[in-house]
Amino acid sequence: MASIDYPLERPKVGTKDWGFAEHMYDWVATVDHKKLGIMYIVSALLFLVIAGIMALVIRTQLALPNGHVVAPDTYNRLFTMHGTTMVFLLGMPLVAGFSNYLVPLMIGARDMAFPRLNAFGFWIFLFGGFLLYFSYLGGSGLYGAGSAPDVGWFAYAPLTEKPFSLGHSTDYWALGIIVSGIGTIASAINVIATTFSLRCPGMTLSRMPMFVWVMLIDSWLILVAFPPLTAAQIMLLLDRYLGANFFYTQRGGSAVLWQHLFWIFGHPEVYILIFPAFAILSEVIPIFSRKPIFGRPAMVGAVVAIGFISLGVWAHHMFAVGMTSYANSFFAASTMLVGIPTGIKIFNWTATMYGGKVNLKTPMLFCCGFLLQFLIAGLTGIMLAIAPFDWQLHDSYFVVGHFHFTLAEGLVFGIFAGLYYWFPKITGRMYNEKLGKWHFWLFVIGVNLTFIPMHFAGILGMPRRIYTYQAGRGWEFWQFSATIGAYIQAIAVAIYVWNVVHSAIKGEPAGDDPWDGWTLEWATTSPPPEYNFEKLPVVRSSRPLWDLKHPHDPDWKYE
Amino acid sequence: MSIEDQHGEAGERTQQTHIQLPAPTFFPIVFAFGVTLLFAGLLTFWLVSFIGFLVFFVGALGWWRNVIPHEDHELVSIEPEHRPAPVMVETRSVVRLRAGEQAHRMRIPIEVHPYTAGIVGGLAGGAAMAALACLYGLVAEHSIWYPVNLLAGVVIPGLGHATTEQLRQFMAGPFIAALIGHIGISILVGVVYAAILPMFPKYAPLWAGVLMPLFWSGLTYPVLDIINPALNRRISWPWFVICQLAFGLVGGFFVARSTHIKTLQSLPMAERAALHYPTEQTSTTKDVH
Amino acid sequence: MADALDLTADALTLEREWKTPDRGTVGIIFLIITESVLFLTFVAVYLVYIGASVTGPYPKDVLETPILATVCLLSSSLTIVAAEWALERNRIGMFRIWWLVTIVLGLYFLFDTGMEWKKLIYVDHLTISTNLFGTTFYSLVGLHASHVTVGMIFLLLVIGVNLLGFPIETQKRRVKFLSWYWHFVDAVWVIVFTVVYIISTR
Ligand SMILES: [Cu+2]
Repeated sequence: MASIDYPLERPKVGTKDWGFAEHMYDWVATVDHKKLGIMYIVSALLFLVIAGIMALVIRTQLALPNGHVVAPDTYNRLFTMHGTTMVFLLGMPLVAGFSNYLVPLMIGARDMAFPRLNAFGFWIFLFGGFLLYFSYLGGSGLYGAGSAPDVGWFAYAPLTEKPFSLGHSTDYWALGIIVSGIGTIASAINVIATTFSLRCPGMTLSRMPMFVWVMLIDSWLILVAFPPLTAAQIMLLLDRYLGANFFYTQRGGSAVLWQHLFWIFGHPEVYILIFPAFAILSEVIPIFSRKPIFGRPAMVGAVVAIGFISLGVWAHHMFAVGMTSYANSFFAASTMLVGIPTGIKIFNWTATMYGGKVNLKTPMLFCCGFLLQFLIAGLTGIMLAIAPFDWQLHDSYFVVGHFHFTLAEGLVFGIFAGLYYWFPKITGRMYNEKLGKWHFWLFVIGVNLTFIPMHFAGILGMPRRIYTYQAGRGWEFWQFSATIGAYIQAIAVAIYVWNVVHSAIKGEPAGDDPWDGWTLEWATTSPPPEYNFEKLPVVRSSRPLWDLKHPHDPDWKYE
Repeated sequence: MSIEDQHGEAGERTQQTHIQLPAPTFFPIVFAFGVTLLFAGLLTFWLVSFIGFLVFFVGALGWWRNVIPHEDHELVSIEPEHRPAPVMVETRSVVRLRAGEQAHRMRIPIEVHPYTAGIVGGLAGGAAMAALACLYGLVAEHSIWYPVNLLAGVVIPGLGHATTEQLRQFMAGPFIAALIGHIGISILVGVVYAAILPMFPKYAPLWAGVLMPLFWSGLTYPVLDIINPALNRRISWPWFVICQLAFGLVGGFFVARSTHIKTLQSLPMAERAALHYPTEQTSTTKDVH
Repeated sequence: MADALDLTADALTLEREWKTPDRGTVGIIFLIITESVLFLTFVAVYLVYIGASVTGPYPKDVLETPILATVCLLSSSLTIVAAEWALERNRIGMFRIWWLVTIVLGLYFLFDTGMEWKKLIYVDHLTISTNLFGTTFYSLVGLHASHVTVGMIFLLLVIGVNLLGFPIETQKRRVKFLSWYWHFVDAVWVIVFTVVYIISTR
């Protein structure tokens, strides 16, 4: 094993008797990609807790028929803010956070290509999030007490037009997302420039870690998917502030146009959100199977294919608006087409494990969980891609169950795998394996208990976004178990938070390379020094650390 | 500074004492805050935008001075105690699969029929099927166009309401639709045949030629009632099954008589995974451990 | 360890021959890509809404083709190339002249847009809320004009600091990126011009 005879407890460095102000300045003025990455991830997790608490309130409200935990309009705000937060203030900073922290380390660079832009991107994302949440105080502006947006996370027109949405709550929704979107775009450009320009000698595109590949394509998707959303939100603001007519149906505007523009963004966004999970799995599964990733070129090809095909499937969210049958067939077919590269990825991860020496540590458990859960999510996705099926279940709890399976069980499982896997690298200490396993199993039980019943409630006709329902429709059992599941999830996440806080302070020192890794981030200390590497590494294969550990049997002899 | 001091193996130590990094600056956060306030003024009060503009301006100015004429840098000293552990050479070695290795199992066919055979077989089967269907049309309805129009009814729902008399006539639109559909599906099914034929354990032509068409008919029977119920009533199922069998037998015959080609499956896993490419020196290297 | 010695030599050659694209170049290219998608959205919406106005005025009644402004903007793409060419050869005087010409051409374009809008608002009574034509016209042309304005601010900054004595020849790379952005803004105008003044007035 590497580094076994190296003294793990080293003298503490870097603590220069700083007070609180110095530490604050250090974080506020930093341009270090690792600090910014940590700040991205921590703020994402804070927003996860906030939006998670909203979800708990929603679930409590729906646990029993005729619930009256919250009022109907409060309920509307809750699901709007829950969705908006989870997508824009949890998912997007996780994309930026993981790529910020890991991409420079993995390609052997000292920092991102534009370090100051990077800091700007983080702060404007955070301020955008604050602006959105400030709506609870200032939302309705002069019209009364403030409150948050209540138009749903996709804010369909004409509900968002001035006559139907008075005050400023909808404006907060649009502007908050535009502002934080500036940060997202900045960070995406930064990731692309970093991967193209700052690769260390020998790190050709074909040797680049899969993680970097996936995040590169993810950034590409961000750059082409976010502008349509920004454009639509600018149009909405023009409608609301200057009386323009884009989505104003009485004056010839089209509400369906909003749906098109939103989903041109919205569907690629689903892939933008899930890509970090893909990226993490592509690193974690090989390490815990002790086998190089199966079919690397196919994996890269599949990611690139998703990066383009997913731009042409958006209207599968709109089968129910009455498009022509040609459009319906086209979008049904293209949606099924995008299932092919996704299937390739699932098969290749499984093939990586096949015949490998699988080690079921917590990160690997989360990867296995991802594979199973995401498969189910993909299958219900294919079901919904069939237009006539979608007509039956559109805007029902089946859809709610489906996309929570992709995101809450896909994205979140992948993210947890990554958070456990790189925890020793980021903090220099080991997490508690036992608590990690508790977290995993409770989370598996929790998510399945929450989201599988939602599918049944949907098939039984329960529409989404209703704040309560009457008894006797056959929904009670499913809704009640979903609520139980939500609380189990909350317990699991609480265990995780405790594990992180406790282990970061008191955990066992982890050493530089606890997993016997193959990519460059494991070649430096944990946590890495500000400059990442004393000498910028020179690499000759896609597993540079393998080469160093096996000088008689290096990969580059085969590549 | 020489190149040797800047580049080396991962984790290698340098002789330098300092490394140049971008200097910390708080102007990005000021700039970001200014932009946010600029927008926030739209939601609250114009004065907020005005203050936002001032903050924005300060941030922009400071940022400008950070990067022009040269980007600010600071020297970070290398802490000798805070250095990565040297990478340890692992004594265990890992067996790599090699070209021509015998010992591992093959579950996927080593030889397959070429896809072109599938296309040819599909077209031939399709022709046989069409001929039989037209024969059925002549016998049952005295018109070779009757089955053509029935087929077109799958994609042209209006035909479900046509009278039998209309269905006997030649109609250009349905004819083209039926032709495209028939050829397209024939080729697709032919290729699927060719692809799965080697995977059947025994009597492959029998499976492909007889059982598969029966499955197809069985699948189509309930499904067609959903797609176009009016059309479904007109279909003569015995003839339908016979047409399918003709397709299967003729197509299967053409596919089966094609010459086999080798698949990548005969190569070792690592090569198929493109982890390394076939090298000529396989038998001589790697006997180190 | 003859093997290891070989590796060090190998690493040095690798390092010497290693070339990656300039980060600024990559950054500006992808900035332009994402901006293009933004424009594409507005152009698409403009095209979708052609002929959708419930009331007048309609494009063919009120729009006058801004030939002179277009010529000015497009030729400013040439003059900025000339300025860059001069800067490349450290002829600062030439650079200043061509740069100022570029600014004048750009300013005329903005002035012309302003006059056009004034006429449309006060004479033809077309505002952003009048009808869908007004909505899409002002937003698309306005989006473009705002990009011209941002470019203009940077053009003015460059010549301003240079006239105040800043050695602009130290910033050739950044000047190049600014000129790429300016070319992009010009190229977008070709599309906006075609869509607004040719397609929608027919
Ligand atoms: Cu979608």
